[in-house]
Amino acid sequence: MTTLLERFIPEAREYLESAAAGLLKLERDPSDEGLVNEVFRAVHTLKGASGLFDTPGLTRLLHAGEDLLDAVRSNLLALDPEMVDALLDALDRVSAWVDALQQQGRLPDDADGVSVALSRRLRALLPIADDSMNATAPAAAAQQADWLIELPEKDRLAAFAGTVGSGSPLLAISYVPDDGCFYRGEDPFNLFPQLPGLQALRIFFREPPVPLAETDPFQSLLAFRALVAQPRGEVEHLFRYVIEQVDIVSIPPEALILPEGDAGGESLHQDFFEDAGLRLAARDFVGLRSAVATLLGETDGQLWVASALRWLDAVLAAPLPNASWVSAVLAAIADGRAFPIGEAASREAPAPAPAHPATLTVAAASPDTPMAARILAEQLRIVAMQGDHDMLPRRMAAVEATVGSLLASLGWSLRDKELASATAEAADGAPERLRELITALYNRVEAAVAGPSPVPASATALLVTSATADSGQTVVGEATQVAHVLKVDQAKVDALMNLIAELVVSKNSLPFLARRAETVYGSREMGREIKDQYAIIDRLAQEMQRAIMDVRMLPVSEVFERFPRLVRDLSRRLNKHIELKIVGEDTAADKTIIESLGDPLIHLVRNAIDHGIESPEQRLATGKPEAGTIQLRALQEGDQVIIEVSDDGKGIDPMAVRLKAFEKGMITEEKADALSDQEAINLIFLPGFSTTEEISDLSGRGVGTDVVRTAVEKINGHVTLSSRKGEGTLVRLSLPLSMAVARVMMVEVGDALFGVPMEGVAETVRVPRDRIRRIKRSQAFVLRDAIVPLIQLHDLLGLPRKGAEVEEEAVLVARVGGTIVGLVVDRLREGIDVVLKPLEGMLAGMRGYSGSALMGDGRVLLVLNLKELL
Amino acid sequence: MPLVFTATQARFEDVCTVEDALPLLEFLKSSNTPEVDLSPCTWLHTALLQLLLTARPRMAASPVDPALTRWVAPLLADASRERGFDG
Repeated sequence: MTTLLERFIPEAREYLESAAAGLLKLERDPSDEGLVNEVFRAVHTLKGASGLFDTPGLTRLLHAGEDLLDAVRSNLLALDPEMVDALLDALDRVSAWVDALQQQGRLPDDADGVSVALSRRLRALLPIADDSMNATAPAAAAQQADWLIELPEKDRLAAFAGTVGSGSPLLAISYVPDDGCFYRGEDPFNLFPQLPGLQALRIFFREPPVPLAETDPFQSLLAFRALVAQPRGEVEHLFRYVIEQVDIVSIPPEALILPEGDAGGESLHQDFFEDAGLRLAARDFVGLRSAVATLLGETDGQLWVASALRWLDAVLAAPLPNASWVSAVLAAIADGRAFPIGEAASREAPAPAPAHPATLTVAAASPDTPMAARILAEQLRIVAMQGDHDMLPRRMAAVEATVGSLLASLGWSLRDKELASATAEAADGAPERLRELITALYNRVEAAVAGPSPVPASATALLVTSATADSGQTVVGEATQVAHVLKVDQAKVDALMNLIAELVVSKNSLPFLARRAETVYGSREMGREIKDQYAIIDRLAQEMQRAIMDVRMLPVSEVFERFPRLVRDLSRRLNKHIELKIVGEDTAADKTIIESLGDPLIHLVRNAIDHGIESPEQRLATGKPEAGTIQLRALQEGDQVIIEVSDDGKGIDPMAVRLKAFEKGMITEEKADALSDQEAINLIFLPGFSTTEEISDLSGRGVGTDVVRTAVEKINGHVTLSSRKGEGTLVRLSLPLSMAVARVMMVEVGDALFGVPMEGVAETVRVPRDRIRRIKRSQAFVLRDAIVPLIQLHDLLGLPRKGAEVEEEAVLVARVGGTIVGLVVDRLREGIDVVLKPLEGMLAGMRGYSGSALMGDGRVLLVLNLKELL
Repeated sequence: MPLVFTATQARFEDVCTVEDALPLLEFLKSSNTPEVDLSPCTWLHTALLQLLLTARPRMAASPVDPALTRWVAPLLADASRERGFDG
């Protein structure tokens, strides 16, 4: 895997997560513009970055998502759950592909097909179908690449013909190399001939050239603008090393229609326009084209009109000429020099809603007004046109056809026959209603277009992104921002932590050494010096340990953040209304702990959704609010992290649990009756227990709660569950903050030394022999008015007793699975910090031990797992 | 040596790299009526192109290479004809 890809993968995951989280929040609060931008930016950046790799499917899908989000961002579209579903599905797919990239270095074979299907689904949600997108696009595209007119008309005409004929996309590339690019071995010009789709290229000095005598041949002063008919991925690939200096904009073919030339000459005869309008309405493109050719032959080629006619010819030359383009070019010619879209000089705000045709023409002249508006304006002009009465019906028929096809291409529709009846009236000499109708449409088009184009002042940040859109600059910008965050491979941190843990343990050998100095070598002074040194090393080691623990600390939000999605999806599927509350997501714990929390929490939340929260009807019937609440709460208590999952659902019925456990033969009838309600509820943690009748794909397979308990206990935590029937359930996980260094209590049994994990130790007591009671074959003693059963650790471990008859027994009182038990040992020793290593190899399967640890004097300490032992 | 100089002419042979920029500049400065022959050139570094566009020498022979013919020759032809910069 290349280093670039290695860096891309974690970044991609981050962006995907933030996009998904943003979408979920957005669904609840669609008005949050900041969020829309955040999600858009994440997807956009990811798309840009993905362009660096050979992953066209992934890029395409992201691009579709980006377009949809862009429409949302521009208020063209309101975000609805269906869109969120589609977008989340797309993100999931991308996420799976990122996994594949990491594992196999490439996308799965079906990626392209899946990508096309998903992209289509996303694009289907876009407000306007592809064709009409083009009608609104020129305004935006012209703003981004307003230099298209600088390219020779000949090249533009050729590019236009090529793209209209083949349908391949057109890109406008602007590349401004910086001063020092030659020093970095770059050769900007020679990149362009490597583009097979290069259509036009303009090379110019980005500032007036210095006279030859003063010129520095190694300072780059040239800039490049080009028109390319080639897939974006290939272009971005070629420019990948300088991508931040390159601006690549997709342009629709009609953005090229920019007639140029001298003003003046005679304006064309009115007949031509009437004839052209009629031919257009009749879709007689061949006839129109020959009329244009005739006219062109009579016009001075240098004139602007001639250029416009050449464009009209180019538009008509297409296999299937686009009627709206023809109409727009005609309108432009009729208005004189009104048409050039890209002419920066005349960029005015579009005129407000036109009141009558005269102002309309002005509005149509504005370069920001898209094609659709211009067409409508032209129709208004035709309606208002004075002239031969005999021609009126035909003219109106032409208007009706044009407006009709425009509406169809926009995906809009009018009330039945509205257009037809209005045109019929107009043909009879009463054009008012038709005029009103077209004016209304015009306003609607204007509104649709004016929405996205002006950038709101509040969205300055957004402006930066969109201005550098597709240039990859955002990626660079963000990278510099987070430059002081060092991304380190987890394995390296783990290795460091292991080393520090070893250090913590090996410093424990110094007190032994000090004692040896005293006892063996008889030097008290030496012993004291060693102890002094030990104190310093001890402090440093502990600080190091704390520091590395800090590095490994992750906020619980790492696991919590997947739940909004889970809750949303499941509640939609089950038709329940559920609100998820997350509290204390900043609470931090060791990475290992956080990572092992994921599965148990998923089970718990699923259970809460599936079994806990009732359907809305049931809830209303029992007087609860319609929407149920699930709360995830994290807090720190001493050296424990507490995670609580609670719901206000129907709770657990202890009776039902008893019955079920009895039916399944897990307990006897007597035992079932003897259980307290709390004990009964705890039965659900037994393997194979489930109270739901049918097995759904969510939960109810009877493995959930068992899995939770096992997983939590594996990381030395424990689970408690409390529930009130009808009121809800609370599951509480208590977990250690960190598990790298464990504190154990050492005990001597026979000649051997064992460790008992400190969290299991309640207290240590010395019990006089005569206070030990014998109940049948078992022993017990009374500790503060409670009977504590006694167990001889020797018997359990099969070791001989050392001091056979002693006055007092050393007893370690331990908490095991909620009950108290006393362990009789030979001697109680001090507690120490150890690095607990699981038993490996032949010993791995041995029950009763949770692992081994190396002690300061080199001996191996076996750490007991009391739960398994008893 | 890809650039070959005579008193009044610079011949661009094959691949002309950024290393040739300084010699080319010296040549362009030293001659009153510099001429360039681009016909054998197959690769023209941007730095050289920039110098040619600054100095606008007369083109004694146009390039043969298709890319240079398509994109560079018209620029230099304009330059030598118009002797004025319109950038």
